[in-house]
This record gives sequence, C-alpha cells and structure tokens, in this order.
Amino acid sequence: MSRRRPLVALLGAAAGIAAGAAASRWLDVVEVRGGSMAPSLLPGDRLLVESRSYQYRAPRPGEVVLAADPRASERELIKRVATIDDVGAAADLRGDAPDESTDSREFGAVPLSAIRWRAAFRYWPPERVGRL
Amino acid sequence: MLTLRSILRPTRRVHAHCDVPCGIYDPEQARIEAESCARIIEKFHASTDELFRQRCVVVKEARAEETKHHIDVLWHDYFKPEHLEQFPDLHDVCWKASKAASKVKQSTDPAAATELLALIDRIDEMWKGTGGLGKTRLNGRPS
Repeated sequence: MSRRRPLVALLGAAAGIAAGAAASRWLDVVEVRGGSMAPSLLPGDRLLVESRSYQYRAPRPGEVVLAADPRASERELIKRVATIDDVGAAADLRGDAPDESTDSREFGAVPLSAIRWRAAFRYWPPERVGRL
Repeated sequence: MLTLRSILRPTRRVHAHCDVPCGIYDPEQARIEAESCARIIEKFHASTDELFRQRCVVVKEARAEETKHHIDVLWHDYFKPEHLEQFPDLHDVCWKASKAASKVKQSTDPAAATELLALIDRIDEMWKGTGGLGKTRLNGRPS
C-alpha cells in the first residue's frame, strides 16, 4: 500500500481549491518562519490560509491566525488565539512555545480588525500534512 | 504559467516570531560580574596606590554596568507573566537587584556588593524554579 497516494490526493485537492480561489483571493498559501509555534508549527511549514470565515464570524480561542505585528505592521505574525476579550474587540495571541515567543504578553491584545486570515491546513512537509 | 508548483509555492512569509530566539539565559552571567565588583572593592580598600585605586573604580563601574544589563535581560526577556504568578515578588527582587547594581557602581561599600550578590541569588532561585538550566542552557553546560 502506497503511503503517498492519500498525499497526492490531498495535494491535488489543495491545488484545485487554491486555483479556484485564486481569483477571489480568499485562499492563500504561506510559509512559516520562526519557532514560536513549535511543536505545532515549525519553520518551513507551508499552510493553506483562508480569509472567508472571519467575514462572517469572530476568531475563536484555539484557532491559529495571521495578524499584522502591532510593532512592525509590514510583518505578519502567526499565533494562536488564547482568549477574546469580553466586548469581542480584541484577541490575546500566544505562541505555542511560550519561552520562545514574542506575543500579546509583550505587545498586548490585538484588535480583531487586524486578524483576517485563519490557518486551516498544512500541506507541507508531507509527513505532517493535515488540518490545523 | 499556472502550475501546481507555482500555486503551492508560498509568496507570503508569516512569522512565528520571537525577538531573541536564542532563549539562552543564566543568572550566572550577572553573578560573575557582581563577584568581580565585590573583589575589586576589597582590593580597592587594601591598596594605598592611588593609580591602582583609580583603576579599581573604573573597572568596577564597568563591571557593575554589565551586572545591571544582565539582570535587566533576565527581567525583561526571560521572565514571563506565568513566572510572576509563581513568584509574586519577582518584579520587586529584579527591581531591587537593578538598583543594588547601581549602588555598587556608585560606591565602594563592600556591603553594597554583598547585597547585590544576595539579590542575584534570589533571581537565580526564581530562574531555577521556572525551568533553569534544562530550559535555558544548551545541553552539556557544566553544573
């Protein structure tokens, strides 16, 4: 039994979806840099991200999201939502590796308006393909 | 041309960011500089050579500044809010240690150096209590 067959199918599906969505720009692929999300995400991981969910609902605790770095807006961060504040206006973002993460503990909660993309699926590397 | 490869090749880099990814910390760094200050103060008082005494002051001030820097790095970078929950006097101890380092920089009072060492040892206890060697030094560091 080939271990690669499901992988090829997944890659094909991902490619199909990505191609289909390319025009509407609500799906994209990104590469992870840095180790603050270890062990869930490692440097070099490639992810499928989507911006459709947050047009209809707010981010939820536990989700992995992209947000502009409050201290350097040209940089896009990837962190996990720890909590949403009571009025639903800001998210507390944390790295999964607290000792190696610069996150809301330092730059404070991030306004939800700064969070548009949700990380949905890892398609690379092959041995760790799967939903996030 | 739109190929599978081009579709799947990310153009966006997203940062699982850390300001200082090295994650290496050890209060020993502060302790060594502070011990240096303590010994220099002893030598300062034991000597009658004015030139030597001046050198003692200059070197001590530089070492005290280094001590303060290492304390501040632990305070700002290593310790995290969850460590504060574990050690509620964390801010107070780090603050006092920083101030004690300033005192050692300014004076030639041996008691100031002793107090600084004692405060660094308290930071060391908190460092050990929150992970210490195993978490913040590479394997193989002599203990």
